[in-house]
Amino acid sequence: MLREWQAAFAAQLLTDASVSEKRLAIHRHHVASSLARALAVSFPTVEALVGAEFFRETARRFVMQDPPRQPVLAEYGAGFADFLAEYAPARGLSYLADTARLDWALNVAFHSPYAGRLDAAALATMTADDLAGLSLAFAPGVALVRSAYPIGLIWKASQPDAGDEPVDLARGPARVLVLRQSDGASFVSLGEGEAAFVEALDDGRSIEAAAGMAAAAEPGFDLSRAFALLNTCEVFAALQH
Amino acid sequence: MQAAAAGIGLRAPHLAEIDRTRPKAGFLEIHAENYLTPSPALATVERLRADYEFSVHAVGLSLGSAEGLDAAHLARVAALVKRLEPALVSEHLAWSTFGGRYYNDLLPLPFTEEALDVVVANVQRLQEMLGRPVAVENPSGYLAIAQSTLTEPEFLAELVRRSGCRLLLDANNLHVTAHNLGLDVGDWLDKLPADAVAEFHLAGHAENDADGETVLIDDHGSAVRAEVWALFDRCVRRFGPRPTLVEWDTDIPALGVLLDEADRATRVLADAA
Amino acid sequence: MEHRMTPTRIAIAAALASAIASPAAAQMPMKVEKCYGVAKAGQNDCQTDHSSCAGTAKKDNQPDAWIAVPKGTCQKIVGGVVKG
Repeated sequence: MLREWQAAFAAQLLTDASVSEKRLAIHRHHVASSLARALAVSFPTVEALVGAEFFRETARRFVMQDPPRQPVLAEYGAGFADFLAEYAPARGLSYLADTARLDWALNVAFHSPYAGRLDAAALATMTADDLAGLSLAFAPGVALVRSAYPIGLIWKASQPDAGDEPVDLARGPARVLVLRQSDGASFVSLGEGEAAFVEALDDGRSIEAAAGMAAAAEPGFDLSRAFALLNTCEVFAALQH
Repeated sequence: MQAAAAGIGLRAPHLAEIDRTRPKAGFLEIHAENYLTPSPALATVERLRADYEFSVHAVGLSLGSAEGLDAAHLARVAALVKRLEPALVSEHLAWSTFGGRYYNDLLPLPFTEEALDVVVANVQRLQEMLGRPVAVENPSGYLAIAQSTLTEPEFLAELVRRSGCRLLLDANNLHVTAHNLGLDVGDWLDKLPADAVAEFHLAGHAENDADGETVLIDDHGSAVRAEVWALFDRCVRRFGPRPTLVEWDTDIPALGVLLDEADRATRVLADAA
Repeated sequence: MEHRMTPTRIAIAAALASAIASPAAAQMPMKVEKCYGVAKAGQNDCQTDHSSCAGTAKKDNQPDAWIAVPKGTCQKIVGGVVKG
């Protein structure tokens, strides 16, 4: 019977319908507003772009449609970017969903473990054949976010300390590599060749194959520069053997 | 854990400063659900263990769920407790999960024999998983549930008797509940098993006008109110000094303000010792 | 093991050796954007939202009628095509 009672109570929480019991409204409002606030923590760039009021209402509607399935709120919101892509009141902000994907990737990176990074010195002892044939795995939390829009610049313009300079959407596309560093989450913008290199490695291709695909994607691709950047950003996981 | 000095709820905006300056505090209490991922914040907490005792306060286990505890979430909380070896572990007398959805609210229970069976079973399962007793906290009440056949303190007393759990007495929640539901605080305290009280909580609340009626909202968004300090004093005299925590979750102030509140609680504990 | 020490592979090994030997910071301006530090953790809590007061219940009847206009840093983003 407690089960039925809780089912009936829960049914009144995620609803827009007016509930006669006004005290119940305290719980119903808390459910929507606290979950909307949790989403604002995970999607700070989206909130900055649209403002607190618009964000609150948008997040509230997402909560109604796709409430959390488990209690860890840092892990809630995986579907928010897709929701925004279809959200009519934000239709004019074509870049909003991709910006949400960047926010989500940063959130995931922040909550990923920081351990077992590649020790590049170990590569120095390998033969040229072994190096070229090597597959490198990425550390947890590393993610490449591609967008037709300059989402890295949009992120920057949305920071509290940003100036007033406008961002021209024509400065897209962007290939943003999200990282988990020891003290937080970060991102770095990649060139087309670097992005292709990362994607090929992530597909399990060898360094040789990935470098070939990167050169095909961007004729001026500089393997040494790309590898130095990625290694400095600590995106590679430790070798498995 | 010593009851001599009050602790503070460890909140994200204060993490870096506490890590840097290591201010004096009786203990630090974290919300379990914020530290179930291997984020840099968890690494900070692990560093802080060198200088502070910890209390792990879960907010999402849903001890009142008729469906039982979520095994996956329970396992994660248990792993955190094992990792941090806190002095205290606590959760609320409430439910927040139903039908696979998490509502992020401490929802009220009807205080019935059936609900008691449910909560006893869930608390026993939690304690078995952790290998230690937990403290169960009285939440803030906004709704009087018509189906209840027991009072909240009667329900808590029976829960203690049957599960062997301890109690976390939140003086602010008790004040808020008593106001909202028209309860007699003295009567409430009389029914509580005194030996079971393992921790006190203090926090601020808001007063909201709801269609001409004042409703107190447990928003943890201000200093502890005078009425709650008075109730805390009464609780300490009645149950003795216990580890005491000051919580502040909304409009979080400078760390010094929170520490000053904890100092005030420490003085109350010292006066009663 | 099959040995096929091709010129490409020698070039790859040289490129990696050079990348490992010289600090990346010296090779290029590092443009890593720091996004989150420890202050981000903390979405779960046990307070009750004070905007949750019963007096706001009247809003419930008309949520879909109310659509705010985005008002934030989106005003700095220019050159977009307004779809729909």
